[in-house]
Amino acid sequence: MKFGGTSVATLPRWQNILELVASRRAEGARVLVVVSALSGITDALKQLCRQGERSRRVEAAAAIRQRHDELLGHMQLPLPQTLGARLHDLAQLADDGAAVLGELAWQAQVQAHGELMSSALGAAFLSHSGLPTQWLDARDCLAAIALPNQNERTRLLSAMVEAKPDPALNARLAALGEVFITQGFIARESEGRTVLLGRGGSDTSASYFGALLKASRVEIWTDVAGMFTANPRQVPSARLLQKLDYEEAQEIASTGAKVLHPRCLSPLREPRVPLLIKDTNRPELDGTVIGPEVREHAPSVKAISARKGITLVSMESVGMWQQVGFLADVFAQFKQHGLSVDLIGSAETNVTVSLDPTENLLDSDAVAALATDLAKVCRVKVIAPCAAITLVGRGMRSMLHTLSGVLAEFGQLRVHLISQSSNNLNLTFVVDENVVDELLPHLHELLIAAGALRTDDSALFGPSWQALYGGGETLAPAAAWWHESERRRLLDIAGKATPRYVYHLPTVRQQARELKTLAAVDRLHYAVKANTHPAILRALAEEGFGFECVSPGELQAVIAAVPGSAPLLFTPNFAPREDYAWALTTRATVSLDSLYPLEHWGELFRGREIVLRVDLGRGLGHHEKVRTGGSGSKFGLPVDQLDTFLRLADAHGVIVRGLHAHLGSGILDDAHWGEVYAQLASLAERIGSVGFIDIGGGLGVPSHPGEVRLDIAALDRVLREVKAAYPHYQLWMEPGRYLVADAGVLLAKVTQHKGKGALRYLGLDTGMNSLIRPALYDAWHEIVNLSRLDEPATALYQVVGPICESGDVLGTDRRLPEAAEGDVILIAQAGAYGKVMSSPYNLRDEAEEIIIDD
Amino acid sequence: MQPRLTQVFRFTRCSYADGVAELGYAFDDGEELVERIRFPVLAPSSHRGEGWGEGAWPSERRAAFAAALKLLHLIAGISYYKAGVPPKIDVADGPLDGATADLLDALYLHGLAEFAYRNKLDLRSRIAFPRLSPSPRQGEGRGEGTARSQAATLDLPRRTLVPIGGGKDSLVAVEAIKAIGAAATAVWVGNSALIAACAERTGLPTLNIQRELAPGLFELNRQGAWNGHIPVTAVNSAILAVAAVLYGYDSIAFANERSASVATLEYEGQQVNHQWSKGYAFEQLLGDWLHTHVAADLDYCSLLRPYSELAITRAFAKLTPYFDTFSSCNRNFKLLGPRPADRWCGQCPKCHFVFLALAPFLAKPRLLSIFGRNLLDDESLAAGFDALLEYRDHKPFECVGEGAEARAAMFALSQRPEWAEDALVARFRGEILPLLDPAQLALEPWLQPAAEHRVPPRLQRALATIG
Repeated sequence: MKFGGTSVATLPRWQNILELVASRRAEGARVLVVVSALSGITDALKQLCRQGERSRRVEAAAAIRQRHDELLGHMQLPLPQTLGARLHDLAQLADDGAAVLGELAWQAQVQAHGELMSSALGAAFLSHSGLPTQWLDARDCLAAIALPNQNERTRLLSAMVEAKPDPALNARLAALGEVFITQGFIARESEGRTVLLGRGGSDTSASYFGALLKASRVEIWTDVAGMFTANPRQVPSARLLQKLDYEEAQEIASTGAKVLHPRCLSPLREPRVPLLIKDTNRPELDGTVIGPEVREHAPSVKAISARKGITLVSMESVGMWQQVGFLADVFAQFKQHGLSVDLIGSAETNVTVSLDPTENLLDSDAVAALATDLAKVCRVKVIAPCAAITLVGRGMRSMLHTLSGVLAEFGQLRVHLISQSSNNLNLTFVVDENVVDELLPHLHELLIAAGALRTDDSALFGPSWQALYGGGETLAPAAAWWHESERRRLLDIAGKATPRYVYHLPTVRQQARELKTLAAVDRLHYAVKANTHPAILRALAEEGFGFECVSPGELQAVIAAVPGSAPLLFTPNFAPREDYAWALTTRATVSLDSLYPLEHWGELFRGREIVLRVDLGRGLGHHEKVRTGGSGSKFGLPVDQLDTFLRLADAHGVIVRGLHAHLGSGILDDAHWGEVYAQLASLAERIGSVGFIDIGGGLGVPSHPGEVRLDIAALDRVLREVKAAYPHYQLWMEPGRYLVADAGVLLAKVTQHKGKGALRYLGLDTGMNSLIRPALYDAWHEIVNLSRLDEPATALYQVVGPICESGDVLGTDRRLPEAAEGDVILIAQAGAYGKVMSSPYNLRDEAEEIIIDD
Repeated sequence: MQPRLTQVFRFTRCSYADGVAELGYAFDDGEELVERIRFPVLAPSSHRGEGWGEGAWPSERRAAFAAALKLLHLIAGISYYKAGVPPKIDVADGPLDGATADLLDALYLHGLAEFAYRNKLDLRSRIAFPRLSPSPRQGEGRGEGTARSQAATLDLPRRTLVPIGGGKDSLVAVEAIKAIGAAATAVWVGNSALIAACAERTGLPTLNIQRELAPGLFELNRQGAWNGHIPVTAVNSAILAVAAVLYGYDSIAFANERSASVATLEYEGQQVNHQWSKGYAFEQLLGDWLHTHVAADLDYCSLLRPYSELAITRAFAKLTPYFDTFSSCNRNFKLLGPRPADRWCGQCPKCHFVFLALAPFLAKPRLLSIFGRNLLDDESLAAGFDALLEYRDHKPFECVGEGAEARAAMFALSQRPEWAEDALVARFRGEILPLLDPAQLALEPWLQPAAEHRVPPRLQRALATIG
């Protein structure tokens, strides 16, 4: 069991260690504890080493002693003899200076004292607390080996140990006791001098001991429960990785995860000792187990990481083609300028390499000097600032087909380099650094949605970081309305006929009321294209919503259903002239999103107040087809045409009253709307007449298990912050799916099943003709067997409809109870873009719509 | 009210009490538009024993304050006047003396030249402030020679107000003043988190003055007012003149560089300069006016006047501590974020120019880390950089350096292997460079200071620290 610096710095943390060790003892294990120095002590010792003056060194040693004395005081322990000896040695070393031992050996000896002292202190505390603990000098167990590429500095300050199982050590310890404590970070070399293990040294020590003793496991106790599918600071919805193999874990550790140093896994690989990462403060959490066994699992991407600050050097020359020694010469230049090369991509006439980020790289002229030298032999281009985005997972090449949606995302970006190593563990894309912050959470979502990151496999993937550590309350998904209270009624409704859509108005109202808690928003419009059922329109009118329509048909449907006081917006795209002409006869506020209408039909709009929809650039959303920003999308006026638009508006006496943008749908990140809002508001400042900002909709509704709901309170905070900066603009929003998706379900009946190879198909009496989202957007809808809700889900089905299209699949690889003909199947979250997108394709009967309201 | 159909713009009243200046304007017989400028009542810590307590001022200082306030009233009116640009201007407390009328005629005409160009208006026939006696050189006035004598000397404390804009220029000015150990206060008008962060980073005492536009102006905009660029530096200068008398400063040191005097384009016989109020002509007009109407010992100058943009970016390239704080981007970032994209839009001419002008003087990875991206390797920005180079386009309506300066910087980059292959640099080499005279592309001449400036003797040592 290894504990780091903060875990050994205070009495309460030592009491925690005592409990944890005692619990392992109670399970019958014999325990070796490996500790770091008290937090801050290693830095203090390094500082001491830098002091030239003897008196300053002695002072520093005294201050370090003081820290340990204080902790002993809190423990109410007398100075143990072992610690006393260490303190004495340290004082002596400080007094002597480096002269006797030589600079590097002396430094190693001084710095080793951090661990020597903390372990001595720990032995005293644990023994005194009723857990007899033997102090073990790690240097007697860990022998550093000499390697050919080492110099004196690396030999002494970042040494390596070859740790092979050593039964003699096991026997020796067995004779001494049950619980031991020893030092991380230190070892001894062949001449008997103390050496250090360098960065990540304490974790590595624990691994060496694990291997030497062939331990049943190594436990790294730290401040987080393990490795995650992404850096939680970038992707709060990153999931805990519960099981990894050594190679995957090492890849994740070396491409970003800070929790474990990549060095510490290789000693464990051969003796097959598993390593467990645990959270000291939350020992009840499962943590991450890293071990040899690759149980049979569907191949899955395990993690996505991003490293920023990367500089690429691209070298182009026909000279390198089949030229002996060309690359050797080129790489010699990198060495000469002190630049470390990481990724390499090559073609016959081009080699592109990435440089590891260092502070030195930033300000020195190394890159300019390198480019100057390289320019003598090839065309050189320096590309920066870049970021490397890496997907990690065993068998990456076999997963490429599942990554199409993810790869499509890269299609919008400048990808400078792609690298896939022969160990088949990773796939790395080097892209412009400025896209990464937005991109990473988005890719993480896409990986889940594409079924490439199989978060539905609860053996591999644990809870999200947000659920474990996110600010206080976590937004657990509420039990769906259909699950308990309305199940019986739904079975009755399906009993009369299927397929049928059923809408639950109380859920619509509940969602509407939740959005009304957004204090920053002055007006909410329901985007009626999601569902135009008159009962839903009326319910939302009663909640005070306005209505956003995109066609004359929608406007007519709304005008027929809601009171004349409800505000209307007409926000079409590529609508013909007569649509505008008609809409201008209604009370709707009309929006424009291109130059054409004012250029060619300007007089139609004379004297009118309009809303201008702009395109702020890159779109967001859960699928390429629901992304509505960026030049690949047909929506919105590009910002660079804004001045032209305003001149046209002025010429026709048209007043731009509102500014609108809508970047996509299914967005679960609250910061996104703040950005859109702030960008629109800063644009609006260039247009005197603007009175309101419309930030559109796209509020995401989580569908996958484990996806975190949009935090409405957090969204409100974000919006209020922007509003405080731009109080003179009203804020409008246009939610659609958020209001109605959860309120609707599609009911269908099982018609038959079929086995084909390893797959089992479950046939329903409707499919893509009623609900096209799975086929069109790869949308994931929860599917349950309402007739057998309580039975164990033992079958794995491909759930399909009766339409003559191979894309007529409602859900793939769904775990459901064994189904029988006539069972009622419920497809959830079908309230939005369900019925409105249904078609008479194959001339199958359309699904009826039923309203539940009480 | 239809603002564009109004007949008279009226300066109705101005007053000052308890830290708030109220400036009143009206169109025709319409409702009064009242702008409020709030001067912090709690003086900054450096103002011990000085300034506050106008009640105890000698009459000269009271007169100076009244004159400065009146000028602020007249200058700040430009934001409202432009909403309707009516044919007549009326000042409630009577016609102006010749020098004052000349200053305002020049400011309104040249400061609104871009506005007029964009809206296709001719203001030459409209702008005529009422004056006591007709001036022979109406509209193009340069003051009336030595006719008017100096104002009283107020013995203002020897310290300087340095306006901070969040960009590189004012930070270079601040560091120059700090370098000679002169007393100074970092001052800014309005609430910008970015400027506040920069001001904080200077380590100087700070002063933040708030300006509240009349709410009626938003209403006029809704009713279809004319809109466009106004010479905001002139408004800020007038605010700082009031502040200098109020708190006690003997100098106001802006950071306007040489190229600010260069016109953006010429339109129907009139020079149109986006940054006219940052130019030397306005500096001279206002500096002289303050000496003759407010205080003989109140100096108004620009510390960077002798320097080109390139000389300034070279000086700024040494000021590493500001790299993660400053921004010259003209998008108004009201909310600060940690990322470069939260400070640099990357799309506007200011972003383009500052990137280009800093590039010769900074290690490439460092420059890219400031902007978070490489603007010179983005082909979609070709048109923007072309305009800076005055290639197939005129210089943008922005506070950017001269075309020849941009070409010199681009040429320097084209000779460096770490830049030469970037999309827009390669394009410059292939497409634009062959059309240029290599003799005109050297960087060095731009780094030499010019002689022209109005920096008072007390601060002249600071000038030398920049070049």
